[in-house]
Amino acid sequence: MATMIFYILGFILLAATLMCITRRNPVHAVVYLVAGFFALALMFYLLGAPLVAAWEVIVYAGAIMVLFLFIIMMLGLAPQEVPPGPGWQRWLPLALLSASLMICTLLLVLQDPAAGQEIGDFYLAPQALGEALFGRYALAVEIVSFQLLFATIGAFLLGRPLPKGEGP
Amino acid sequence: MTIPFGHALAFAGALFVLGLSCVLIRRQIMMILIGVEIMLNAASLAFVAASAYWRQPDGQVFVLLLMAITAAEVAVALAMVVYLWRRKRTLVADEFNGMHG
Amino acid sequence: MNESLLFLIPLLPLLCAVLNMFFGMRLPRLFAETMAVTGVAGAFVLTLLFWGQGGGEGTRAVLFSWLSSGSLEVSFALNFDRLAAPMTLMVTGVATLIHLYAVGYMHGEDDYARFYSLLNLFVFAMLMIVLADNLLVLFLGWEGVGLCSYGLIGFWYRKLENAKAGTKAFLVTRVGDVFLGIALLWLFTLTGTLSISAINAQAATISPGVVIALSLLLLLGACGKSAQLPLMTWLADAMAGPTPVSALIHAATMVTAGVYLLCRFFPLVSLSAVAMTAITAIGALTAIYAATCAMAQREIKRVLAYSTMSQVGYMFMAVGAGTVAGAMFHLLTHAFFKAVLFMAAGCVIHLADNENDIFKMGGLARRGPPELFWVFLAGAVCLAGLPLTGGFFSKDGILLALFSHPDPVYRVFWLIGVVTALLTAFYTFRLVYLVFAGEYRGAGHPHAIPLLMRWPLWPLALLGLGGGLLNLPAFVGGGEALHHWYGTLAGLEVDASQEVEWMLVGLAAALTGGGWFAARWRYRSYRPPLDNAVSRFLLSGWRADALVDCLFVRPFAAMARFCSTGCDRTLFDGTINGLGRLATSWSNLLVLLTTGRLTSYLSAFAWGFLVLLGWFLLKLVNGGGHG
Repeated sequence: MATMIFYILGFILLAATLMCITRRNPVHAVVYLVAGFFALALMFYLLGAPLVAAWEVIVYAGAIMVLFLFIIMMLGLAPQEVPPGPGWQRWLPLALLSASLMICTLLLVLQDPAAGQEIGDFYLAPQALGEALFGRYALAVEIVSFQLLFATIGAFLLGRPLPKGEGP
Repeated sequence: MTIPFGHALAFAGALFVLGLSCVLIRRQIMMILIGVEIMLNAASLAFVAASAYWRQPDGQVFVLLLMAITAAEVAVALAMVVYLWRRKRTLVADEFNGMHG
Repeated sequence: MNESLLFLIPLLPLLCAVLNMFFGMRLPRLFAETMAVTGVAGAFVLTLLFWGQGGGEGTRAVLFSWLSSGSLEVSFALNFDRLAAPMTLMVTGVATLIHLYAVGYMHGEDDYARFYSLLNLFVFAMLMIVLADNLLVLFLGWEGVGLCSYGLIGFWYRKLENAKAGTKAFLVTRVGDVFLGIALLWLFTLTGTLSISAINAQAATISPGVVIALSLLLLLGACGKSAQLPLMTWLADAMAGPTPVSALIHAATMVTAGVYLLCRFFPLVSLSAVAMTAITAIGALTAIYAATCAMAQREIKRVLAYSTMSQVGYMFMAVGAGTVAGAMFHLLTHAFFKAVLFMAAGCVIHLADNENDIFKMGGLARRGPPELFWVFLAGAVCLAGLPLTGGFFSKDGILLALFSHPDPVYRVFWLIGVVTALLTAFYTFRLVYLVFAGEYRGAGHPHAIPLLMRWPLWPLALLGLGGGLLNLPAFVGGGEALHHWYGTLAGLEVDASQEVEWMLVGLAAALTGGGWFAARWRYRSYRPPLDNAVSRFLLSGWRADALVDCLFVRPFAAMARFCSTGCDRTLFDGTINGLGRLATSWSNLLVLLTTGRLTSYLSAFAWGFLVLLGWFLLKLVNGGGHG
């Protein structure tokens, strides 16, 4: 049962992402992506990572994608009439490239000897995750918090209003 | 639920390639950034699947760190997008070719 | 007298040359001129003082050891012997008179220091040739006269044809010098020494074939300096230099250096009959060639140049016939009368307002000082061989030697010499009539002739006329002074009966008279010059310049063009530039990759990623092959 749900969710994820990358309107793309992220979060849960699933929804779909929407709407990017592009001559080599990349990746992944092994029932309780996170990986947590500080400052600096004429 | 490890990884791989094609094919900087997000999520999926396979928490810890980093990166990236918009009022990536040789 | 003072003879002119070179322009002009004349006059006085030491075995003086390497021991040594003494006296004496003449001739020239220093340097180099004890000193002098002749012929170098004449002289004589150099080296390898007397002593030990080869090499070297066939094209053009230069170099000294060389190596050269015949043949052919060319020349100095070529041919014939005394006799008398002819020609050119063409002269006997006509006539009759003049006796001596030579081939050469004598008389009197007789045909105003240009002519004219006394033949009651002076160096004895001698004398007189009458008949009253194919052919020296140009200059120029344009420019530069262009075009191609666009860079990422994946796949496929 869970197996079947997993595959359905996987399919939904891929379909939503496909829709996302082909939308002209960026808002539509973001919304499709959020849907895909919901499916992804459920897949995480099925793989025994409930906390990560929650974070996926809260942080990724809820903060990062919302930030994208903020910027899209702030700059008025949608509904923007993108001028007609170069046509299918430009897409074709890239599409072929993507297709071949897909095929290669799948082949490589699926023929690995470990690929046939089954993932057994696994459930990681948040407490265990917290113990691992703040136990063994405490240093990494601190460093990532620095990173967030840098990002804040950087975003603030970059987002300052331009003085008259030139940039900062 | 018994899923072959390879299938989970295959999903991750497919998602990654989809994100890569979004990066390659779309011309707007915003869509390129969204493609990057998709690729990062594919990596997260791979990590979680591996964490389940090896029955260790380390993969999931890394997914958290990944999300934090992504948040930071998105913040700065979007700030840059705003800046670029203010400079040129367009977000087509090809327009910003001042470094051409 | 101390023999090392012998070195002062060449060193005085050298010293004055160097002083004039460095200080001539800063000192007053009179000082430079005096220094130049004193240098040569001092050498002349010294030669007179040393005269006694030249008799007998001669005097040898060594200054310092020049080269000393292994078995090669060469010292800077002079040899004042019986052959060198009269020649030195002639060179310094005639040079002194010509220097005095030059002071007058060049009085309007601003560049006088260069002129006098080159002139003195030339005398030094010529004395090196004459007094050399070994081949290296001789070669030093040989090259030195070539250099000074180049500098003096092209003295007025600002006119391009003068510079070209100087270059031509230098290059053509250089060809002869190459042969002399080969002979020098070969002689050293054969005999182990460069000393001329040692080589002559060992001459008998050299194998006959090598002797012939060496003699021919020496002959070619002599031909270069003496302007004989085939290296004669430079002499006519060398008249572009000032007249004192022509008088000194191309009448008395440099052109006779070849004859002197052969006389010096007579013991070696006379060993081979083939070589002697070759020498005589070259002399004879040159003599008649030059005489025919002189008949058609229009410029006064060119006539005299071809005449010199012809007379030096006589000297070569004398050496080939075996009589060194006869060759040197003619050399000395020729020096006198040719120098006076050149100097008088310089006065004539002055009179005709710097006009060289004899067809534009005429009547100059009345326009200029009267003595000019008489000195010119004195030189002319010597050249033509009027009986009892110096030129007559010397030329007659040569013809006698040719006639009475045991080898019958020499009769042919004698005949050529006889015909040439007739032609010589003809063109000489042609010159005299066209320049001095009749009415003045030109348009110029005569320049005044300075005293210094007139006075030195007299001693030379008298020496030319009376030169026969130097070596008066026995059948007219003379003592053959020169012949006895040379003694064993005089070459082969001429064996001829009195009847033969008188017959030849009569023949010579008849030739002179015949030539004179022919010239008188044709040129006494003026006729314009002929302009047909024959005269043009003779005027251009039998088109020798064109032949040399076709045979040597053009192929050389073509080769130079091939090397410069074909090889250097096309191949080397082309390759290097081509490589540069290749690099530039590659980089231009690569530049296309740097579009500055984010999307292209991302595409590059993806393609690289694909390559990486493809490689993994390949490894997988191959790895799956065996496992």
